[in-house]
Amino acid sequence: MVDSYLRERSSKDWKKSEKHGAGEWLAERWTSVALIVLTGWALWSAYGLMGQGYEAALAFVKAPVNAGLLALTFIITVWHTHMGLTANVLDYFPNSRALKLISALFCLVLLVAALGGIFLAFKA
Amino acid sequence: MSQPPSKPTVYRPLSPHLQVWKFHITMFTSILHRATGLALVVGAVLVAAWLLAIGLTASGCCPQAYTSFLTFAASPFGLFIWFGLSLAGFIHLTGGIRHLIWDLGLGFQLKSANALSWWGLLIGIALTIVFWVVLFATGKVVL
Repeated sequence: MVDSYLRERSSKDWKKSEKHGAGEWLAERWTSVALIVLTGWALWSAYGLMGQGYEAALAFVKAPVNAGLLALTFIITVWHTHMGLTANVLDYFPNSRALKLISALFCLVLLVAALGGIFLAFKA
Repeated sequence: MSQPPSKPTVYRPLSPHLQVWKFHITMFTSILHRATGLALVVGAVLVAAWLLAIGLTASGCCPQAYTSFLTFAASPFGLFIWFGLSLAGFIHLTGGIRHLIWDLGLGFQLKSANALSWWGLLIGIALTIVFWVVLFATGKVVL
């Protein structure tokens, strides 16, 4: 009874990936690989900046290579975060559009704050 | 499960909820990988706040922004948060590497899967301890 119901259900009703193949799966993996490198660089930089004060921090962010790498780190971090949050939502609240929307909005605000900070520092 | 749900909707197979598991290390580290990932969202918020504080101070609109951020970040509570984030970060890092190894199709034997989980957890904790010992030893962080 249960088996036949599950078979019927999985063949007919389970949401299948109509539009995507392995894209999101691959994106999760490649963002992970990129973040190992980028957060390693960020951690090393943070270690160097600790205790150096505001001027050193500003000079660091104003350097074009650092500004670019910081922006890249944040873009990939936010992408990875959104995929992670969505995976959590889908596993326990598969039909909650509200939670997925909250995750997307949160990630967007985070990205705007970080990139805005980099932009303001870079322009100053 | 014997009755179909009355409401037609999108069905997905749900993850088993936490209480159904008997403890084993791959289950524990899998849950931990999610938990540390969620915790690291706080880290992303703090780093974004750091960047915003630099930008706002530099632009002249909020000259005290960076000082306010440092006041929090260097406070005992702030250090506690940073410590928790570094622990979550290192455990998520080793957990992520473990998942990438599995994604390559390696280490799926029960013994190797368990060993990878244990090593990932222990190395994550060890890296955190070493990181903070170095920070205190070099005077980068003082209480």
